[in-house]
Amino acid sequence: MTELTLPAAFADLAPWLDWALPTADGRQDRRLASTSDTLRRFYDAVLPRLEDILAEVDKHPLGQLPAALRPLYDIALSLAEVAPHIELYDGAVGVPYAFEEGRFIAVHGGEPTWSTPQPMMTPAP
Amino acid sequence: MNAEHRWLEAYPELGSGPISTEPYISPEWYEKEKEKIFSKVWLCVGRANELPRPGDYKVKRIEAANTSVIVMRGKDGQIRAFHNMCAHRGNTVVTENGQETYGRNRAGVITCRFHGWVYAADGALRSVPSQERFYSCFDKGDNGLAPIHLDTWEGFLFVNVAEKPEHSLAEFLGDYAEHFRGFPFEELDYGFTYRTELDCNWKVAHDAFAEAYHVDTIHAGSFPNVFSSGLQNVKLMGPHRTCAVCLTLDAKPTPVAGIANRIAGASLVSQRGKSMLPATINPDHRPDFAFELSVLFPNTLLHVSEGIWFTHQFWPLAHNRTLWEGRYYVKAPTSNAGRWAIEHAMTLQRNAWLEDTATMEDTQRAMQSRAKMQQHLQDDEILIRHGAIIVDQYVNA
Repeated sequence: MTELTLPAAFADLAPWLDWALPTADGRQDRRLASTSDTLRRFYDAVLPRLEDILAEVDKHPLGQLPAALRPLYDIALSLAEVAPHIELYDGAVGVPYAFEEGRFIAVHGGEPTWSTPQPMMTPAP
Repeated sequence: MNAEHRWLEAYPELGSGPISTEPYISPEWYEKEKEKIFSKVWLCVGRANELPRPGDYKVKRIEAANTSVIVMRGKDGQIRAFHNMCAHRGNTVVTENGQETYGRNRAGVITCRFHGWVYAADGALRSVPSQERFYSCFDKGDNGLAPIHLDTWEGFLFVNVAEKPEHSLAEFLGDYAEHFRGFPFEELDYGFTYRTELDCNWKVAHDAFAEAYHVDTIHAGSFPNVFSSGLQNVKLMGPHRTCAVCLTLDAKPTPVAGIANRIAGASLVSQRGKSMLPATINPDHRPDFAFELSVLFPNTLLHVSEGIWFTHQFWPLAHNRTLWEGRYYVKAPTSNAGRWAIEHAMTLQRNAWLEDTATMEDTQRAMQSRAKMQQHLQDDEILIRHGAIIVDQYVNA
């Protein structure tokens, strides 16, 4: 696997490249395997850059994100996964008072989010 | 009028007494539900746009009706349904890879992997390898796939496994169809599906979603400070039921939610207009209207809101086991930021559903202890009361 990189303007986010995960399942697993402290530091680092990231990826049409921008987009998607845990659940890595997350299956969970397939269906064989 | 008991006053025929827990825990009762409900009424098995091209098919297991159903679009554009069973020795024609299996055959045929019998999308048996070795009593013309009644409403696909359904789909839906007429289901076609198997009766799952009394407690995490102003506009329509869930929607959004709401408005807890709702929904234009919560009997909950609709389906697997499927639909994104915002809304919704499902298995275990054989319902739990009464009527019909 080639090493992931970020555009120069977002080099400050390089410490968070291990959160550049293309699938919803991958981001959820990373969040569950993380610590409260890491979630908070990730949130604090990425939130101030979120609007800039979204402006940057929107220079390209949906589904045509250049490979060079995908890690940056995936970091923003990880923020979407992590944000409720900082903003609502006081840093808890899991959803408090909830059903077992590992038993919930996201049908779209293994698809790379950037390519924006219709996520409803399991892809036909 | 007693404002605290307004639904009892509106629907006195439902009564106000406690509800028996027996139908939630009895294997014998469940057998009757299979026979008298799931093998007799129309069941929603998907949407026509899941099968966009001729030759597309979907197989849906319906264990409560003792079958799995092939729903397939033929070359003529028509969607038809069949039991997934080969006329040869009973193998499933489409090999399933779970509760729902999607596939496509460009030629518009399906082939049993056991001995290669080929069926056309209209169910006809097209070819039998070594056909000459069968005997004269075997007639290909009599051995097509066993058809299942299929009809559609607003793009939803319904099947009925009864040999002769007692009602047409239109009769079965009745006023329910009218209530939702005009909502743009087709335009909001970007959907996500979550599923899990729950160790609880299907009605335990239904009941947990069919009231808003739990919002302050269960969703204190994901949807804080959206204090419920209760149900509005409860409407009972034959075996179906609907109401409006009203929430306080003026809480200041959290930072990331604020950005996501501005981009997509794809979350239930973002303030939205009422431009796409039919006149029957939120007729008084209440500013605190959040979503319409309806139950399409027996096992589908359909919710609509501005720019969003979602369903829960509860497929019984046993008297104390249920397949739950949650689907959430919005308008397809047009930008990468829009796709990001939808992902955030979906994450929040998944978390809320994780909260919703948290109580169900505990409820089932406790009910099975038989420590208490009744449950008590308050006025705003009228959808549950109506559900229990309708199930009772069907089972004892």
